[in-house]
Amino acid sequence: MKLILPPGVTAARFEQAMAAFARVLGKEWVLATDEDRETYLDMYSPGREESHAAAGALAPASVEQVQAVLKVANEFHIPLWPISRGKNFGYGGAAPRLSGTVMLDLGRLNQIIEVNEKQGYCILEPGVGFFDLWDYLKQNKIPLQMGIPGNGWGSVVGNALERGFSPLGDHSSNICGMEILLPTGELVRTGMGAMANGKAWPLFKHGFGPSWDQMVVQGNYAIVTKLCLWLKQEDEAAITVDVKLDKPQELQWYTEAVTPLRLRGVLDGLVRITSYQSAATVPTLRSEWYQGKDSIPDSVIPLMMKRFNVGWWNGALRLAGYSDVCEANLRRVLDRVAKFTKQEFKVIRGPGNASPGPSTYPLQMTNWYGGRGGHIGYSPVMPADGKLVQEQFERTRRRYQEFGLDYSGTFYNDGRSVTNVNLILYGKDDAEQKERVRKLFLALIADAREQGYGEYRTHLSYMDDVAASYDFNNHSLLRLNERVKDALDPNGILAPGRNGIWPKAYRAQRGKL
Amino acid sequence: MRAASLLLLSVLPLAALGAQTPAQLAARGQQAFAHRCGMCHREGGTGTFILARRLGADKSLLEKRTDLQPLYLRTVVRWGIGNMPRISRVELPESDLEAVTAYLTAPKGPAAP
Ligand SMILES: Cc1cc2nc3c(=O)[nH]c(=O)nc-3n(C[C@H](O)[C@H](O)[C@H](O)COP(=O)(O)OP(=O)(O)OC[C@H]3O[C@@H](n4cnc5c(N)ncnc54)[C@H](O)[C@@H]3O)c2cc1C
Ligand code: HEC
Repeated sequence: MKLILPPGVTAARFEQAMAAFARVLGKEWVLATDEDRETYLDMYSPGREESHAAAGALAPASVEQVQAVLKVANEFHIPLWPISRGKNFGYGGAAPRLSGTVMLDLGRLNQIIEVNEKQGYCILEPGVGFFDLWDYLKQNKIPLQMGIPGNGWGSVVGNALERGFSPLGDHSSNICGMEILLPTGELVRTGMGAMANGKAWPLFKHGFGPSWDQMVVQGNYAIVTKLCLWLKQEDEAAITVDVKLDKPQELQWYTEAVTPLRLRGVLDGLVRITSYQSAATVPTLRSEWYQGKDSIPDSVIPLMMKRFNVGWWNGALRLAGYSDVCEANLRRVLDRVAKFTKQEFKVIRGPGNASPGPSTYPLQMTNWYGGRGGHIGYSPVMPADGKLVQEQFERTRRRYQEFGLDYSGTFYNDGRSVTNVNLILYGKDDAEQKERVRKLFLALIADAREQGYGEYRTHLSYMDDVAASYDFNNHSLLRLNERVKDALDPNGILAPGRNGIWPKAYRAQRGKL
Repeated sequence: MRAASLLLLSVLPLAALGAQTPAQLAARGQQAFAHRCGMCHREGGTGTFILARRLGADKSLLEKRTDLQPLYLRTVVRWGIGNMPRISRVELPESDLEAVTAYLTAPKGPAAP
């Protein structure tokens, strides 16, 4: 990838800045060849890769080096975008929002600082991957569980900072204290860590006064150098009710059935239900099912259901904890479900620690159209209400059909809200199809906005569109976010444009790709 | 220009590692492979699966291949191929790429790892 300079920075100034970075980090850790830039492009790019092209990357190995990098960046007005491992596929990978931004790759800060079995937490540096933490827990026989996303190749810290989630729940809600660097270089510890000898840093979330952790999550106010994260104690037993529903309209009763169970804590984590398509996208190619350019027709659905022995909707009701409590809760669950259906579901009893661990296997779904591919997700948050969920599904599926794409929807119910992840797969070299994806995505944002549902997280290319849909009082939240941004980051060097938050220096870039 | 810089880069670190025997280098490469490639390129990994689709099962496991060339390896790793993501120098420094290359291109006798 050829060099694209940050807006307003001359080639000569940029060279001087890179030389100054090299004095701080050593030449080896200033990555600025065409080949280096290539490795930070968004491999799933739903548009043009050049829209989010980094000018290079910097790889510090200590907090002091990050501080020194910030000093240079402020002096030369070089925008930096922190990544922990940069495997944020579907949302932008290792790429920045604004082309010409330099990636601050924290992959070399990769220490597992502490894992505490008794109180159930870990303290991690950003470069620790899901595989690393998993290996550490297994090698040291520590009976704690970790939430693992479908793509296990990323960073535990990076994922939590994106509000990533897994069936165990929203990972950002397990954050309990951080060490952060402000854009101007001050080192801060949040929560109880704000005491120099704070003993309850990873144990009590809030400390005294305002709570900062969630300001940092999905924001561009700080660089996280250490993160305290709660890990769940391993369960004694687990019972899974294997749910297969044969008709699309059954989503409604299912949502009504599980919502109160989740709300009362009978079911734990996020109760997930997903459409038939996800059984097919990983192990097979689309061409095995259908050759047409429009959406896969309904006649194919029974074939997929038969081959993979799945329903139209598929999910699991998971009970985990003490085995006698699980058995008692199982009766509640089956009684509740029986109020809505005569269907019997398979019940699987197993140990509490049956997680297979992190995997990269699901990544191959991008091969669905045969060549190299990608996906983005449209994921609005809505009330946990059967009728509304059913309508949301039907409206969304009609939109997929209108734009000739294959519907793949998943609903995650936490008892109060439902997050509806809509996976949109495309071939990366099919410009015409990617244009349809863009139109679908914008239509979905508009539809959800009309209903009063907003996205929980989005791809770089849509951050401004989604931020614009949070529009109460003429976007007063965005204005507040940007006032805070300007106060904390006067030169606007940290992740300009992240989640639609633009610093003064780059505000003219809003909406531009 | 691109080919020349590729060549230069692949020669330099080897010289720097001059003290290591090929066997030591390959052993280090095996570790780096396990840590940085294994999650996709051993049994059950997505690399293995997609390579089986494209090249057939007998070519799907990189550690069993005898036809991998150094320049091909580094081009795939840094520029990606098909659905394999590009891998940066932070994830896999040049010296580790050299070691992985030594490991994957080492002669495979009957007693090979
Ligand atoms: C097939 C597939 C399945 C997936 N399944 C899931 C899933 O189940 N759940 C899920 O959540 N995601 C899923 N993803 C999306 C994504 O791959 C993961 O969320 C992944 O963990 C994110 O990459 P990462 O951990 O390397 O984070 P990074 O890319 O390192 O970080 C993400 C972003 O957070 C910010 N950030 C990171 N580190 C810092 C820091 N130290 N300081 C300040 N800001 C920082 C930056 O803005 C960065 O761009 C899936 C993707 C694919 C392709
Ligand atoms: C995240 C998963 C992933 C990781 C990690 C990964 N690869 Fe791959 N690799 C793939 C996939 C998928 C393919 C098949 C691409 C295709 O054909 O579409 C592939 C293909 C390849 C090929 C091409 C083989 C051929 O004959 O064409 C080589 C060589 C390769 N990988 C080397 C490596 C090395 C070396 C590493 C570690 C440094 C590595 N890969 C890490 C996923 C991965």
